[in-house]
Amino acid sequence: MFRPLFEFVDALPSSIALRESVYGYTALLTTHVLSMCLFAGLVIMMDVRLAGFGNKKTPISEIQKRLFPWQTLGMVGSTITGVLLFYGQPMRYYGKVFYWSKIAMMILALLNLLYFHLRTYRSVSQWDTDITPPMNVRLAGIISLVLWAAVVATGRLTAYDWLTYR
Amino acid sequence: MSLLPVVEAIEASRISTVMRQDPYFSAVVNVIHLLGLVIFAGSILIVDLRLLGGGIKKQPLAQVARDAQPWLIGSLILMLSTGIPQILLTPTKQYYSQWFWLKMEILPIAIIYTFTVRRMVAQAAEGRVRPVWRMLVGLVSIAMWTVVPICGRLIGLLS
Repeated sequence: MFRPLFEFVDALPSSIALRESVYGYTALLTTHVLSMCLFAGLVIMMDVRLAGFGNKKTPISEIQKRLFPWQTLGMVGSTITGVLLFYGQPMRYYGKVFYWSKIAMMILALLNLLYFHLRTYRSVSQWDTDITPPMNVRLAGIISLVLWAAVVATGRLTAYDWLTYR
Repeated sequence: MSLLPVVEAIEASRISTVMRQDPYFSAVVNVIHLLGLVIFAGSILIVDLRLLGGGIKKQPLAQVARDAQPWLIGSLILMLSTGIPQILLTPTKQYYSQWFWLKMEILPIAIIYTFTVRRMVAQAAEGRVRPVWRMLVGLVSIAMWTVVPICGRLIGLLS
């Protein structure tokens, strides 16, 4: 159903230019990895606090407030480089199970994040300094850890030719 | 003396051959290495941001560093134990990659720096180290730990 759209993007001169540039792919992929380190690294530091696994002495709202700008910067960096990587080779990703699994995991992780911030986080003042936060908070942290780890793993596995359909 | 004969002997060794025969082995090792990298980056950055004067300010620097320590050491062990098999897997490729050698030069320096200079500054009593020195220590840490994964990525891309 989406194939004509992917083929259309694939044939655009700017997509071809990106695909054929000598260092474009290398520079984008390397920047993608660095942005991922910034984003996922600091998200993990927040998640282990929520899950009750670490950083236990720091108030949760303090971690949220101080790390949020850097997490956002990392997310913006990985999104821009990610979109460009996709734009340069849409047909490479079209039939890849790992790629679409990654996108699905990202959507789930974002839903978890939204639910946590719009609902659960409202009562933060009640559990801000808890060494072990309430179960629903811990669950949000654990789900986030599992989903972002799956995003990183499926992202890496996208490089292989396994589970690829034409 | 050239290392090449040693490298070729490793490549021909039983352990290297056995690892290469399994098509999924290198992928699994690679994925674990990357997950280790992400945890490592988080535990480094949370302290470096604080060294630079940002990050978690409600907490003394020494406490932020103490909290980050188990994640730092755990992820470092995870990366070393998945990094060495990757060298054994494709030693000749590594040998001919300038990025591998650059990584191997900076990595030990960065590890030693992290567990000596950076650790001492992070554990020092509040106010004992001037802010400008703290910032410098943080900047050097971020710089070195940025170059290491860049080199790692480029071994795979530009070899």
